[in-house]
Amino acid sequence: MRAAALLLALLAFPVHAAWTWSEPVTVNPVQGAAIFPHLESANRQGIAVSGGTVGVVWEDNRSGSPRCYLATKQAAAAAFRPEVRLSKKECYEPVVLALGAGRFVAAWEEAGKVHARVWPRGKVLELSAASAAQVTLARGGDTLYAAWAEQAGRFKRIVVATMALKGDTLSVKSAEPVEANVPVDEQGWPALAVAGDGSLTVAWEDRRHHHTVPMVSRSRDGRSFSPPLRLVDTRSGSVDGLGAGMGTMRPTLTAWGEQGVVAAWLDKRDFLSGYDVYAAFDPGTRTFGRNLKVQDSFGDNMAQWHALIAGDGAGRLVSLWDDARDGTPDVWLSEWDGEAFGDDVAVPAAHGPGSQSDPVATLDASGALHVVWLDRDEAAGTRIRYARAERK
Amino acid sequence: MKLIKMVLAAGCLWAGAALADPPKDYPFVDFDTGLKAAKASGKPIFVYFGRYGCAWCDHTNKKTFSDAGLKKLYSENYALVYVDAESGKRLTLPSGERITEAELGARLQAFATPLFVYMTPQGEKIMQVPGFKTVQDFQDYDRYVRGGHYKQKTLLEFLGGKS
Repeated sequence: MRAAALLLALLAFPVHAAWTWSEPVTVNPVQGAAIFPHLESANRQGIAVSGGTVGVVWEDNRSGSPRCYLATKQAAAAAFRPEVRLSKKECYEPVVLALGAGRFVAAWEEAGKVHARVWPRGKVLELSAASAAQVTLARGGDTLYAAWAEQAGRFKRIVVATMALKGDTLSVKSAEPVEANVPVDEQGWPALAVAGDGSLTVAWEDRRHHHTVPMVSRSRDGRSFSPPLRLVDTRSGSVDGLGAGMGTMRPTLTAWGEQGVVAAWLDKRDFLSGYDVYAAFDPGTRTFGRNLKVQDSFGDNMAQWHALIAGDGAGRLVSLWDDARDGTPDVWLSEWDGEAFGDDVAVPAAHGPGSQSDPVATLDASGALHVVWLDRDEAAGTRIRYARAERK
Repeated sequence: MKLIKMVLAAGCLWAGAALADPPKDYPFVDFDTGLKAAKASGKPIFVYFGRYGCAWCDHTNKKTFSDAGLKKLYSENYALVYVDAESGKRLTLPSGERITEAELGARLQAFATPLFVYMTPQGEKIMQVPGFKTVQDFQDYDRYVRGGHYKQKTLLEFLGGKS
């Protein structure tokens, strides 16, 4: 009887007890009713942890038009240091990548092209010659990669660059389109991941099938790419002569375990419940398997937004997103337990009255989870909030 | 050869346009252009929030927006705006905030397309209605919006009271 009671108690124990969360910290010091910070970026790559320093990038319009910023803090510090402005002109969708020892690479769209620089020192490098947007970054050992959507004729296509880093100086060694042919429809929102074997995976939104399909390609060297394959296990095609297929949005990728890569994206195959979060695993075979729904049944009748996947070499894997199942938008996470994604748990400081949304997240070398999100207040302005979680 | 390429290209454009883009021959414009036009004309805004490849959008276009009377009614009395539910194209909200067209869907908590949003000429939301709608539905919504009934009644109250 006692054993049964203990088992019931264990089953009832909330899963989020597995994480111990820090007090949330506000990242952006300047707020106001007419100041609008955003964390949108390709691969939702707005946070990185470099040798014990947390870096967060965002865009806001405090100066009158959108500019991009980077703020950092020591992991143990109570507050973020004053932010630095990354851009001089109109800027969108910044991303940040850890270089180690407290150094970062940031990249962003500015005045219609994509740029990057090393922080704290380093000059701005223009990555794209043509009009481009939605830049993202990845690192495999000493090799840095960037990908973006670049104008090629009527539409944008995905370009991947291999970058060299000498001291604090970045340079582009090569920049190649994933496909040589001019795109027949829009491509965008690339995500990159470098697996443990050094191979590069690139995923992106693609409209060649007359609806949005996440596609994926591989490369050993960042210069030549395998023919694109669908990430989704659904088919394109009309229904009774109508439409072209279900909707999908914003694929994200992470390296996972010794050899794996995991993708997560927003998927509307159940078109009556809005976007759901779906994931697919490449365990090292360089083939993504069947698609898995990430959120639990309590989120099924609700649209999910701003999904991402974050993993590490030790095999930890979490997905985060926001949805309004409790009445207003809150940030939720689900952790891979080795066989399935676990029950959804709310990020405590990003749950409750008001609107908490747009998460970005990363796992650091110790397995701690770092999460940043938007806490919207129409009157007081939007705060960018940060919290760190450790395993108990 | 050049002529064949031009014909093929035109065919591709047409094929793309037939897949749940805005209904044919309506003067739909992007959000920023529509908001500006609405402020200048004083006309309410009708936002068609569609998705590329969306079957129900396609169905609504063929079954409902093909009606000549509806086309005249909405073309003449609304600033018609088309928003692509998955697009990264940017728009400016009346508050001055710049977001993507896809992000507008998150703000509206759009769970299905098509989604139809009626706004005042200043861009304040009056109501949103999701899914396939008939010509009669859109005529009812028009009376509700342009008649100013939304100021006193919910849509359900208004529709319940019609003869």
